[in-house]
Amino acid sequence: MTKSIKREIITDIYEAFGKYKKNKAFVINDITYTYGQLANAVYSISTQICNRQDDIIGIVAENRLETYASILAVLLCGKTYVILHPSYPEDRNKNIAKQAGVNSLLHTEDAQNFPLDNVLERICTTELRQSIPPVAYLPQDNQKNAYIIFTSGSTGEPKGVPISRENLNAFYHAYHKLGWQLSETDRMLQMFELTFDVSVVSLLYPLTLGACIYTVPVEGIKYLNVIDILEKYEITFAAVAPSLLQLVRPYFSEIQFPKLKYLIVTAEASNAELLSAFKSCAPNAAFVNLYGPTEGTIYCTSYFIPPTGCKHHNGMVAIGKPFDGISIQLMADDDTPVLAGECGELWISGQQVMKGYWNDPEKSGACLAQWKDGKTYYKTGDLCKIDAEGDIIYYGRKDYQVKVQGFRIELSEIEYVARQFFDGKTGTVVTARQIENQGCELHLFVEDTHFNSTELHEYISKKLPYYMIPKQIHKIEHFPLNNSNKTDRKKLLDLIK
Amino acid sequence: METTEILNELNRIFNRVLKVENIILSDETTAQDVDGWTSLTNMILINEIEKQFNVRFTFRDIMKLKSVGDICSAIQNKMK
Repeated sequence: MTKSIKREIITDIYEAFGKYKKNKAFVINDITYTYGQLANAVYSISTQICNRQDDIIGIVAENRLETYASILAVLLCGKTYVILHPSYPEDRNKNIAKQAGVNSLLHTEDAQNFPLDNVLERICTTELRQSIPPVAYLPQDNQKNAYIIFTSGSTGEPKGVPISRENLNAFYHAYHKLGWQLSETDRMLQMFELTFDVSVVSLLYPLTLGACIYTVPVEGIKYLNVIDILEKYEITFAAVAPSLLQLVRPYFSEIQFPKLKYLIVTAEASNAELLSAFKSCAPNAAFVNLYGPTEGTIYCTSYFIPPTGCKHHNGMVAIGKPFDGISIQLMADDDTPVLAGECGELWISGQQVMKGYWNDPEKSGACLAQWKDGKTYYKTGDLCKIDAEGDIIYYGRKDYQVKVQGFRIELSEIEYVARQFFDGKTGTVVTARQIENQGCELHLFVEDTHFNSTELHEYISKKLPYYMIPKQIHKIEHFPLNNSNKTDRKKLLDLIK
Repeated sequence: METTEILNELNRIFNRVLKVENIILSDETTAQDVDGWTSLTNMILINEIEKQFNVRFTFRDIMKLKSVGDICSAIQNKMK
């Protein structure tokens, strides 16, 4: 049975253009743009692309009003956007443009020379500025894709995750139902790269409310810019990656965000202790952990973290309850459900879940499975348990579970024990290195250089069985991050090659 | 301490932390001009500068450091 979708996100944004004309829509590099100005930019870009033959439009990731207007214009015209990033290697952008079949590229005058020779037509959006009468909007075919996000495939070839308008609207419906106390007076942060799907909700949702979006300058040091914006503009709603909080942790006593109403943590497992330490910086904020794979459209579970007694496993904050419209199963390795209270791989189903990877039936077949209830599930690769209150407890990535000398080991457990040695204040990562014919070798990385490795080793040896003791401890000043602001485990392992 | 002296020392710190040999800093240099000067390395650079010059920056101070020139004058102020 398919539930009818009550909300259409682009309709609501289109209506906001008229309803909130004088409201601030964006503050970008300290310059304010109203909904009226945004609408004008969207209309003038729309007239350039609505009647085009090609459905898939490339957009260069920049921090300009016209960049965000381009995303909206593509959606308004019922087309699909694909983000190309100036910081990506040229070959990666070419590969993505080729795979997606991008023939037209939207960019501003700052990216005139964006290197992408396989694109036929470039449209410079900053040269279009003129008063254009509103473009009519008719809700579009729900099966059409809204965007395709390319993520790293294990083979190095980026794989495309196409998200249809049906997926996006199902997400919008469920996200809205979480009951945010937000209105047109709210000031909301957008700190994520446009190549990462949390940026989609950070940009689109405020525009349905008439609220204002604050983006982060490309110039300067990112985490300082984010803190600066949170403070200067008294941001009321912020979704951040936990690694950002970790970076400013030594300075928590100097940071105060009394106006912050919601702090969303997302993109990677949050450390319960870190959040509890941050509480004093944002005394009036509700902390919410939002979880979801890109394949399931941005987020699909939520955990509203209680003031005390935050549920966690090995320090990783619980991911809570599925969104409205999402069904879940916890599965054992043989694709049968685990017994109640047992740990299994999280499978998700519902209108938010993609139909399959872009032009890749093989990979799609490997991660989408039809279960006997007739629904198609996406296998997340995340291990979870469900507690007595129905909350999903996160146990880490399935790939982080390794076998050493025949023992099944959860790497997060070693990380947790090592973190306790530092009173929970230091980042720890354990990775397993495959040694030919010798199985797995555990390496512990600690985000600190001023400690005694022997003492740490002794501490771990007292807490964990011998087969869980890391073979080597590596001191790293700061962990490398990937493009989505997550700790880059692969890069860490590369450091010791 | 003279500005040029500080600049020379900063050059050494940047080269060491960012693992390059050819950075030549000037007052106007910002994060945009130097490959690898990011959120992550900024914290390391600050730590190293604090150690080398025996100064301590508050988070307010760090937020105001937009260029190498800002870092130089902040160090001079702290050393007074």
